[in-house]
Amino acid sequence: MNFEGLSVDQAPPISVPLRFFLTAPLFGIIAGILIFINDVDVLMSRFSPQSIVVTHVMVIGFLSFVMFGALVQMLPVLAGVKIPKVKTIGNLSHLLIFLGLLMMLFGMLGNISKMTLVSSVLLGSGFLILIISMLIAFRGVVNVTASVRAMITSLSFALIITLIGTHLLSSHGLGKFSSHHLLFANIHSVWAIFGFAGILIIGVTFQVLPMFYVAPRFKRFCKQKVVWLITSGLVLWLALNIFLDSYSTIAKIWIALFFWAFSTTVFLKMRSRRRPVSDVTVWYWVSASIFMTLGTFAWVIDDFLGEKYIVLVSLLIGGGFILSIMQGMLYKIVPFLVWFHLNAKGYMSIPTMNDMINKKLAKAQFTLFIVSLVGFIFSAFVPWLLSVFAITFILSMAILEYNIILAVLVYVKTLKTKPDFDMSAFMQN
Amino acid sequence: MSTIKEFLSDDHSRCDDLFAVMEDVASKSIESAKDAFNAFRDATERHFQMEERVMFLEFEQKTGMTQGPTAVMRHEHSQMRNLLSEMAKAIEEKNKDKFFGNSETLMILMQQHNMKEEQMLYTMAQQRLSAESDRIVDMMKSMVVEA
Repeated sequence: MNFEGLSVDQAPPISVPLRFFLTAPLFGIIAGILIFINDVDVLMSRFSPQSIVVTHVMVIGFLSFVMFGALVQMLPVLAGVKIPKVKTIGNLSHLLIFLGLLMMLFGMLGNISKMTLVSSVLLGSGFLILIISMLIAFRGVVNVTASVRAMITSLSFALIITLIGTHLLSSHGLGKFSSHHLLFANIHSVWAIFGFAGILIIGVTFQVLPMFYVAPRFKRFCKQKVVWLITSGLVLWLALNIFLDSYSTIAKIWIALFFWAFSTTVFLKMRSRRRPVSDVTVWYWVSASIFMTLGTFAWVIDDFLGEKYIVLVSLLIGGGFILSIMQGMLYKIVPFLVWFHLNAKGYMSIPTMNDMINKKLAKAQFTLFIVSLVGFIFSAFVPWLLSVFAITFILSMAILEYNIILAVLVYVKTLKTKPDFDMSAFMQN
Repeated sequence: MSTIKEFLSDDHSRCDDLFAVMEDVASKSIESAKDAFNAFRDATERHFQMEERVMFLEFEQKTGMTQGPTAVMRHEHSQMRNLLSEMAKAIEEKNKDKFFGNSETLMILMQQHNMKEEQMLYTMAQQRLSAESDRIVDMMKSMVVEA
């Protein structure tokens, strides 16, 4: 039997995922600043350059960075496969996406078409390198679980939305728009939210909730069928959009139904979890399930209102659901990585995970985030409120960054000040 | 009879349940957490030894891989044993923060360890040792834990 590719051994170098995690809240701050300096009217229009940029600063700069940082880290654990040349691939794609996103921001807002064009190349290649490497790594999977299937499906959606996204952005750069531009933009956004992020979250949740919170396991039917049902819904939605647009609501209801069922299941499982500990990550899971429930309903209802409130729907789903889960995960994964890598290097007396992050600040960060999110929704109806909640959002992102830096500093300081194989445990005080 | 993979995966869940009970008791009062902690530690130690003294040995013998996945798993067992002794100290010192700091770290370490075992090692072991599966499960069941 061939065991190559199987890796029970250690994770990629800590610098790779941390690079992604440290950058994410910085883009959150930038998004907050952009919201602060723009008017509600501009941001409520889905196709204004400002709202396209704010959305992508958040979804690429924050969400995709956290998701890919975590995937790089979790692929060996969840799937038992290694990304080839993970350090080079991780660092290169991080750099390409980072520069690409900044150029997209300045290119589109400053109306510098050449810069926008270059940004599409940088973003496209950055994502493709990462996604294709992961899909190649998955060829070595020995044990195909529901989570593995979900991750492969999700990355396949990621591949498609990257190609479409590159096309859309280069159209802005070239100033030439195909007659299908709107259709492509719709596919790009719906498949990104539900196909890539949604299915990835579902797949990982199957494993994470029962294990880390000792919550009841997901039903076999749920694990085996949900991803398939959602995927078929997304394909049906695409087909109806192209050929029978007036019926596409049916597919929307289909997709929304399963995401609603999923978020309700998460809510119930978190309530009946066996671990009594309630920290900010638990709050984020619960808030995610509530916002997703609201989001799925809003998405369907908005369809009957001529998609007038689509920006609010994306706030509920993108901000309330995906962003909530990503932030909650950061609070667990970053301190653990620091602890894990220091321990593997032979340091024995390391602060515990709970000492690495300021818990009070984490709670303040959660509160500020929820206030901002609800505030953004209200701002659609009371425009002057927007700048107030942009500030609370910037604050929440700054605190998140500070908390991650605190944990990373523990790593850096320990490496600097203590020798390998610390003997302090054997010394008398 | 359950397979090696089923038997050891189920044992993970049993340890998880004991972990949850332990945290529940400790969150109410750290002083009274000793029994629940011991129950969890004993179950975990038994699980480690069933692997280290039975299953890993069989796997290593069959595959000739002594420096492969089992070595990594043994290393993580020792990391978890260290955390367990820190938790025991915390109970003696009645230090709730220290206890939960270590239990949280243990929980994450333990779960990513379990995922790797269930995802890879147990799958590999079941494939390689399928003919002897019943005998190995019996040996694990009847094994006496060494101090």
